[in-house]
Amino acid sequence: METKLREGKGSAALRRSEPLRLRTELKAILYLIPFLVPFAVFYLWPVLRGAWMSLHVWGIQGMEKYVAFANYKKLLTNSDFYTYLWHSFYFVLLCAPTVIILGLALALIINQNIWLRTLIRSAFFLPYVLSVSVISFIWLRLFDAKNGPVNAFLHLFGLPADIHWLTDHRFVWWAITIATDWWTVGFVMVLFLAGLQEIPADHYEAAKIDGANAWERFWHITLPGLSRVMKIQIFYQIIACLKLFGQVQIMTGGGPGDSTNTMIRYIYVTGFKKDMFGLASAQSMVFCVIMLLIAVIQFKITDRSNG
Amino acid sequence: MNKVLLNIIAVVLALLFIFPLVWMLLVSLKPDGVSVYSLADWVNWSDLNVDNYVKVVRDSPILRWTWNSLVIGVLTTVISILVSSLAAFSFSKLPFRTRGIFYLVIVSGLLIPTEAILIPLYETSLHLKLIDNMWAIILPGLTNPIGILLLKQFMDGVPKDYIEAAQIDGSRNFRLWWSICLPLTRSAMVSVGIFFFILSWNNFLWPYLSITSEENMILSAGLPTFLSNNTMSLNLIMTASAIAAIPTIIVFILLQRHIVQGVSMSGVKG
Repeated sequence: METKLREGKGSAALRRSEPLRLRTELKAILYLIPFLVPFAVFYLWPVLRGAWMSLHVWGIQGMEKYVAFANYKKLLTNSDFYTYLWHSFYFVLLCAPTVIILGLALALIINQNIWLRTLIRSAFFLPYVLSVSVISFIWLRLFDAKNGPVNAFLHLFGLPADIHWLTDHRFVWWAITIATDWWTVGFVMVLFLAGLQEIPADHYEAAKIDGANAWERFWHITLPGLSRVMKIQIFYQIIACLKLFGQVQIMTGGGPGDSTNTMIRYIYVTGFKKDMFGLASAQSMVFCVIMLLIAVIQFKITDRSNG
Repeated sequence: MNKVLLNIIAVVLALLFIFPLVWMLLVSLKPDGVSVYSLADWVNWSDLNVDNYVKVVRDSPILRWTWNSLVIGVLTTVISILVSSLAAFSFSKLPFRTRGIFYLVIVSGLLIPTEAILIPLYETSLHLKLIDNMWAIILPGLTNPIGILLLKQFMDGVPKDYIEAAQIDGSRNFRLWWSICLPLTRSAMVSVGIFFFILSWNNFLWPYLSITSEENMILSAGLPTFLSNNTMSLNLIMTASAIAAIPTIIVFILLQRHIVQGVSMSGVKG
């Protein structure tokens, strides 16, 4: 009796998937609506709206006039744009490799059987839960040229003169990188730890029997075992670095001069300080295209390794 | 020998990592104008007091900002989880033909960050009269599709038999979600929820732009106003940072296991 009922249900379910039935569709879509409404209003619409706005002269009061691609022309012939774009990528080059290497090193240390393992892991992860304004405040003061502990510490090792971390263009990017690495490396570490746990222990046993040393085991077992997490991390960090805003806004205000002005801060200043929404939208669209290109590259790379 | 060296390196690194936080606390407890620079400053504990805390709490709306951050964080998290869970249920358990298209549209939300749509987002919020309102922060916070992706994976793990048995008993879809899928994915929801809460609590750029009056600000966006305020000394700025950091640190210590799990789950898949 019961099996018969089940069979009936099963074949009904099979038949259901064949024709496009409006009722089934609507019933399922109903469950998506609570997500789709804010998603459409605060994500999809702004993306399209931004494209539209970028074709206009647009002030804080609203649209002024249609100018076709004049904003893009203005943007792409302005050397500031390329400078700030380069700053954003320069930060990627500084921050992404350092945070990934440091995160991997910390994960390898924590993965050993060390004393106070949980406590030490917490110390590494703790900064990540603080907000960008808190960490920027702390490092703003730590890097203070005259009263900051960073210089005090370096003086112990014989640094002859004060380093003006945040006002000297030679050091300012390193200061921001150090603050950012300290803030986010715990996150990278946790992800690598999860990746390390997935590598089967018997691979290491087998390698030991074959006489592989620690370095060979790292190079031939650990690194390949982490390749999936590594790829995700590289792209995640590239995108996170390109979005740099809070740290420079608070620690340097884009200075000294405009040497730490980034893409996002450029959009912010053009839109909200100079009230040029149309031009700022054009800058945003360029930024969107860069983001999409990175996503395409990421998709191609991860797809190839899976197939 | 090697083992001992590794342990020492680990401990020294851990101390280096918490050094900035300890320094922040120490400076915040020193009298106004007194810095912590030399070793002597570090060990001189005779002048520590909480005057700065009293001053910051009295003279600035920092407690109000903390409250706003909390309310916005909780609302964003709870609504996000329910809404993501409903959508994940639909994708995982309801057979419909257009699911592929909808899934693609929703996943596209991962591609473009808020930073790239600031201007039109501001314009849209202006039209909807949301600027300087807490919903200006909450509503855009609900568009993150990562919750759907993660919860869907866990719902895929809910056995088909459970669903079919309930269907035979005549359960409607809504009941399938509420009384089967929701309870069975509870632990995943906790992890995703913690992730959403941290995201909301630390959200900076958009609240910084969309909230204009001092009383409606959240903690992360309100703190930088101390910098433009010239009466704020080094010690008071560190005190404000400490007031912002201490609740986060306490919550982290209490919920550590869940937080690390939630973050690693969301990060590995994302």
